[in-house]
Parts: sequence; structure tokens; C-alpha cells
Amino acid sequence: MNLIKEIWQSIVRRDPLSTDKGKSELVFLNVWLHIHPAKVKTENLKFKHTFYLGFITFFLFIVLVTTGIALMFYYRPFPPHAYQDMKDLEYVVFLGSFLRGMHRWAAHGMVICVFLHMCRVFYTGSYKRPRQFNWVVGVLLLLLTLGLSFTGYLLPWDQLAFWAITVGTNIGSYAPIVGGQVREILLGGHTVGEAALLRFYVLHVAVLPALVILLTIVHFWRVRKDGGLSRPIWKLKPNKPDELVTIGAPPLVAQATAVPASTDKTYGLMEVVTGKPIFETITPEEEDEAVFSYPFAFFREAIALMATVTGVMLMSLLFRAPLEEIANPAHTPNPAKAPWYFLGLQELVSHSALLGGVVAPTLMVIALLAIPYFDRNPSRRPSDRKWALWLFTAFVAINLVLILIGTFFRGPGWALVPPWVHITGAVE
Amino acid sequence: MARKLPQLFFALSTLALVILLVAVWKASTPEWKRYQHDFAQLEAQGEPNAVAKAAVLAAPPQIHQAMLTGLQRVDRCTTCHLGVDDPTMKNAPEPFRYHAGLGPHISSRFGCTICHGGQGLATEKNAAHGNVAFWQTPLLAKEYIRASCGRCHKEGDVPGVPELTEGRHLFETQGCRGCHKLNGVGGSIGPDLTEEGANRRSPEWLEKHFLTPNAVSAGSAMPNFHFTREQARALTYYMLSLTSEEMGTYYSSLRLIPSPEYGRQLFVEKNCIVCHAIGGVGSKTGPDLAGVTKRHSTGWLDEQLVNPDQVYPGSSMPEYDLETNARKALVAFMATATPEDAQAILTHKNVPLSPEDAAIEAGKRDFARFGCAGCHGTELQGGVPNPNAQGGQVPSLLHLSDDYTKDEIIAVIRNGRMPPLDNAKGPTPPLYMPAWKALLNDEDIHQIVEFLWSKQQKAAESW
Repeated sequence: MNLIKEIWQSIVRRDPLSTDKGKSELVFLNVWLHIHPAKVKTENLKFKHTFYLGFITFFLFIVLVTTGIALMFYYRPFPPHAYQDMKDLEYVVFLGSFLRGMHRWAAHGMVICVFLHMCRVFYTGSYKRPRQFNWVVGVLLLLLTLGLSFTGYLLPWDQLAFWAITVGTNIGSYAPIVGGQVREILLGGHTVGEAALLRFYVLHVAVLPALVILLTIVHFWRVRKDGGLSRPIWKLKPNKPDELVTIGAPPLVAQATAVPASTDKTYGLMEVVTGKPIFETITPEEEDEAVFSYPFAFFREAIALMATVTGVMLMSLLFRAPLEEIANPAHTPNPAKAPWYFLGLQELVSHSALLGGVVAPTLMVIALLAIPYFDRNPSRRPSDRKWALWLFTAFVAINLVLILIGTFFRGPGWALVPPWVHITGAVE
Repeated sequence: MARKLPQLFFALSTLALVILLVAVWKASTPEWKRYQHDFAQLEAQGEPNAVAKAAVLAAPPQIHQAMLTGLQRVDRCTTCHLGVDDPTMKNAPEPFRYHAGLGPHISSRFGCTICHGGQGLATEKNAAHGNVAFWQTPLLAKEYIRASCGRCHKEGDVPGVPELTEGRHLFETQGCRGCHKLNGVGGSIGPDLTEEGANRRSPEWLEKHFLTPNAVSAGSAMPNFHFTREQARALTYYMLSLTSEEMGTYYSSLRLIPSPEYGRQLFVEKNCIVCHAIGGVGSKTGPDLAGVTKRHSTGWLDEQLVNPDQVYPGSSMPEYDLETNARKALVAFMATATPEDAQAILTHKNVPLSPEDAAIEAGKRDFARFGCAGCHGTELQGGVPNPNAQGGQVPSLLHLSDDYTKDEIIAVIRNGRMPPLDNAKGPTPPLYMPAWKALLNDEDIHQIVEFLWSKQQKAAESW
């Protein structure tokens, strides 16, 4: 018995969780959990402040990595085997269809959640000092997510995949000077073919996930260093800049004098072990509002994780991932549509290639990246930033409307059709 | 709220587990396992003793599949159709019944979908039978099954399928290639038919289309050829057999095995001796073929037979729509051919032709081969409706010499022509004369005109 106890203690080297010391040690002695603070403010944990969208996005990514690796065991990235492997997954691999469904729906879910997360961060003004650059990292993660979804879209090698990527890369090729070359490098040729499939596969399973992981680490680290999860400004105690040191974010105006010694420690584990909280912006006054991360934060995260996984599994159980005929370059479907999140751009391209293919996407990306530096208004209160909120709402609404038009209201020849023809079939 | 967190976590975890179990249950009970269970029962009934019965019943369920590399497919049909090869299942209910009359076409070597259509990779009934969205070849109805013979038996008479021979004959004589491409040879007014059997329309559609093109495809430019029902059926069979899938040598019909004898047959059939000589015996128009297999690689010769103009720019050799094995056979024949062979072939040609008659004969062949007859009629009578063209139809060619000189006609064939309009404001007529200069060289066109003029004289005499 003693040996078992000894082994257990060699693995779990903390005090029992019934003690405050144990609860703290659970966090900072564990490499996976120590991105959390030992204590968090109760206010920060409220669902209605963040909807846990960042967590959900991250969990969807974990679901995608897990199911994706499982799918890789069954997939050969060259035609026509790629398509046959889809059929094998569908018909002979145990749980293959379920696995593919989870991957597909989680991928769509991640695109949606990343976007919603961005909206939440904008509306709460959480990109403001000191988090400006973390917003930029977030926008890059949004672009990487779109890239992952787009590269994954081609892999089944069916008609849907083939033509969505053909149309999608065509939109990209409208960019002046470099557009055509970028498309050629991406596809490994002038048309979607074997080379394109291999390139998209390598991007999808190696390059882009690695970049996402790297940037996610930066993203999380900065959230932690900048004070943890976001909460409404009016719930914050009045700022006392003189007494607070926020790591990594020097004040806008360089201070001539040394920073006065703070009464609270912002780093140094020994204090925490003796019961003091480790949390950059917790002041002694706030201490009574803070709770230990275990169990309060961890249970909430675990619930978000389970809700995400359950949701994805339920979707996969109820709806099969789509799979059309094998890719046939000689037979163009009418209409040929890009993946849904690019249909707004395709809609614009149908009016003007320059507008949809060049101006709109370039401006959108630049505008998103520049938001925290362009918006000099220091206030996070909605009443102080009416213009910003209106502008962003208009941006979101225009995007949504264009995507909805492209998805549901466009039929053969990109002509306007009523949305129900997608269900009832077009009337001849 | 905080106190309810563990309960919520537990509830969600349970839900996730339940969903996972449902998924596992669904994956473990596919319908094919039920069929295999039923089949085991059926088999056990026929077993004489209890030990054998128990052995049959205890066999684990498994997917059966025929890996058909030569046909580039995997057929899993026998996962449910378990009695296909078992004559004792002659009277068993479907899906277990024995497939009688297969001859050499046993399911383990040929699979099922090459003849029947359907989705060989699928293991669910509806999907396997191809009656689902996004699968282009559902099961062929019984009355059309024999059309599939033509997928491997690409030439010659297929025993028991006269429709295929008739369909191929109609296709080459009625001028279908004038508008339709098949294996790279033909016009582009109508759709390419190379994959017609693979990207299949329904057989019923095809048959109706041959009887009255406009009935199923409104505004189709295709003329009504007034085919009989039998002819429409024969053409439908031929269409259903068309595919560019390469069938392995094992699956090629005997005639397609690339033997020198078959090559010689083709050499005679395609009239190669008209241009080529072997060891000095024959015509001097094209290169002498004696020792040609030593001068060029097999691959070069094969490419030359596919694309004469690309291998040898300016080559006047026409493109012949030859199967892979037919080309191999021709090369095999050329390797063994002797001047005596050429002499024998020449002496067997019934009528020695004068140069003039040879030109007319060549023109007549090209007129049929390039599909001119499709619009202008096999007897040059014209008459195919062409709305809003002058006269409302494709003109007859029987009175050309009254209005045109030979040179004018040569120019029309070379460069093509839009028909003069009946009503200048009306729609563009669907049919027009294509420009042939890319396909036919001056000599070909000259020969066609000679052929046309030979018909003119006869028409004039009959007046």
C-alpha cells in the first residue's frame, strides 16, 4: 500500500484539494493548468460576459485535431483514392462516418465561433490597451481558421470540394500583380489537380495547425498577462494606475519616476503558496471577490468542453457530412459556389471582380487588424463608443447579408432565386 | 448556480456517453449484418449435420469485396448478395439468389457494377443500388443490362447483343460525329459522348431523345432522324456502353487482344494500303512501313496512331478512333508485315480503282466518317429542320453545281458558314456549317468535293 501511495504522490505532488494550498498547487504545479491563475474573480467567470466563446473555439480546435488525426489514418491525398477513402469511411470503417461528421461540423462551428468571439471582444471593447496586439493575434487566428477550413474543404475530392476550391482560388486570383501567382503557388498549377490536393493536404494537417497552435499559445499567454478574462468595465474597481503594475504594458507616457512599490505581488510563487493570490490586477480590495480556480473556473471550462463535444457529436449523429460525386473537371455544376464563408465575396465578385476579389477583402483584413490602433477612444463603455459600435454592427450585418444572399438566394447562372428551391428543387 | 456545476458537468458527460453509445450501436448494426445472418440461416437449412449447421451459423459477419484492379473498382455487392456464385441458391429469395448464365464472367473476377451499375463501394441498400443523390450510375434496368457488354467488347459483334452492332453501325453511318465528339474525333455542336455511359442519363431519357429529340430536351439542335423504335433502342445501348475507362487486358474481348492477326484485319479494314506500302508494295503517299517498328519506339508509333499531326506536324495521316489494344495490334502487325502480305492485301481488294474513283471513294468515306451525313443526309438530300435558316432546313447538296464552283464549295468546307437567315431579326439557327480546316487537309476536302460532284452529275442526268 505504501508503494502505491508513494507512486501516487510522486505523480501528484500537491497537498489535498481540501486545502487552499492544495487548490493553488493544483494550478501552478501542473504544466497544463498553470496558464490559469490560482484565483479568479467571480465576476470574470460569468457566462453572460464572454459566452465562453474563446473556450468553445479552443475546444472545437481540440475536437478537430483529435478527429483529424484519426481521419489521417484512412486518407490518401491523391486522386482518385482520396474520394474512395471517403466512401470507405462512409461505408466500411467502424464509426468512420461519425468521425468525418464530427470533423466537418466542428470545422463549420469553429469558423462561426471564432467570428462570434471576435464580435464579443469588439462589443465589450476588450481590444483596448493593453490588449491591442492580442486583438491582432486574434484576427490572424481568424484568418488561419478560414485557411484551415478552406484547405480541408478540398480533401474529400468530390464535386463540392473541387468546384468550391476552384471558385475560391479564382476569387483570390483577382488581386492585382500577385493574385495569379499566389493562386499558382497554392495550387501547384493553373487548375485544381493532384498537386493542389497534396499542397492543401500538407497545409491542412501540418503547416496551418502548427501556426494556429503557436499563435494560440501567444493569445492565451497574453490574456493571462493582461488580467484574465474580460468583464464589463463598470464592474471593475476604479483604476489606480499608480499602484498597479501591469506586466508587459508600460503606461502610454513614460514615467520619469520609478513605479511606486505595489502592495500586491504580481509574481513570485512563494507568496501564493502561503495563501496569497497570484493575479496581476487583483488588489487587496478585490481579494474578497476572488475564488480559487479549482473548482469554480475548472468546472465551468469542463462544462464548456463537454457541451462543445456533445453538440458536435449530436450534429454528427443527426446529419451526415456531405459527399457528392467524384471531382470531375469536365463537368461544372451550375452554380459553382465557394465555401459558405466566402460566398459574401463571391456575391461581390459577381457584381465587380475588383470589388469582391481585391478591394473588399483587403480593406476588411486591414480594417480588422487596425481597429485597436485606429480606435483611440480609451473608454470601454458602450455609451462612449456609439460610432464604433454602429460601424462594427454595419460591418457584421453587411457580411451576413451578403453571405445569406450568396448561400440561399443564388441559383443557376448566379441568378436570384427564392431560398426554398434549395429544399424543394428548382422548377423546370 | 455554482453548486449546480458538478451536476451539470455530470449530466453533459452522461449525454455525451449516450450519444457515443448510440453512434457505436448504429455502426455495429449495419443492414448487411442482418442479410448475412439471414443467409447463414438459409445455408444452415441445407447442411446435413448439426456440426456443419453450427459452423455456418457461427461464421463471423464480414464485408465481402472484389478488388478489381483491371476494372479500377471495388465491388462490395456480395456482402449482401451472398449466393451469386452458389448454384444451390438457384431458388433462394433475393438478395441471395444464384446468378445463372454468367459464363466466364464470374463475380470474383468481374464484380457486379461493371454490368449492372450501382455503387460498388457502398454497403447500404439504397446507396449501393445507386438510388441516392450524387451517384450517377444507378442500377440499370433489366432490359438495358446487355448494353454493358459493350463496355469491354468494344468492337465486333457481341454474341447475344445485336443492338450494340446496330447502334455502332448507325452511329458511324448517320453522321453523328458531325456534331458529337467520341474519343476525341467529331464535331462540337452537340455534347461530347465519350463518357455518355459513365455520366449516365437515364436509358428512358436516351431512348425518348432518339425518337423525338425535342420531347426531352426542349430546343435541342439535334435533328429528328425518324429512327424506328428498334434503332432508338440500339443507339441507346451503344450510348450506355460508352466510357473512356480503361479496362485491363484480361477484360478485353478476344478480338481486342493485340495479336498481329487482329492488326492485319484492322490494316485491311482501315484501308492503310491506300497510302502506305510494305517493302515497296503498295502506295507511295505515306511512308513505307517495312521495318517501321525498328525505326521508331512502340510508344512513338502508338502516339502516331492517336495524334498523327502532333507527332509529325503537317502529317496528312487522318486520325482513326482506335482502341488501345487495336493500336497495339496494328503495331504488332507492322512488326511482322512482309511485302507478300501487302501483295495479298492488294490482290484481295475487289475493284482496282482509277485515281479519280479512288478520290471519290475517299471523299465518300470522309463524308460518312466526319458526320456530314448527319445534317446533309446519307443521300445528300438535306432536309433536316433548322429554324430560321433560309428554307427552314439544311440545304440539299444534290444541286450544288448549279449555283457554285468547286472552289467556292472548297472554301465553304474549309471556313464554315452561318446559314443565310429567313428573318433577319429572328433567332440564330441552331445548326451551321462548321469550319473543317482544322480537321481536314486540302486533299481531304478536294476528295469530298469530288464525291459531291460525282453525285451532282447523277442528279443532273436523272432530270
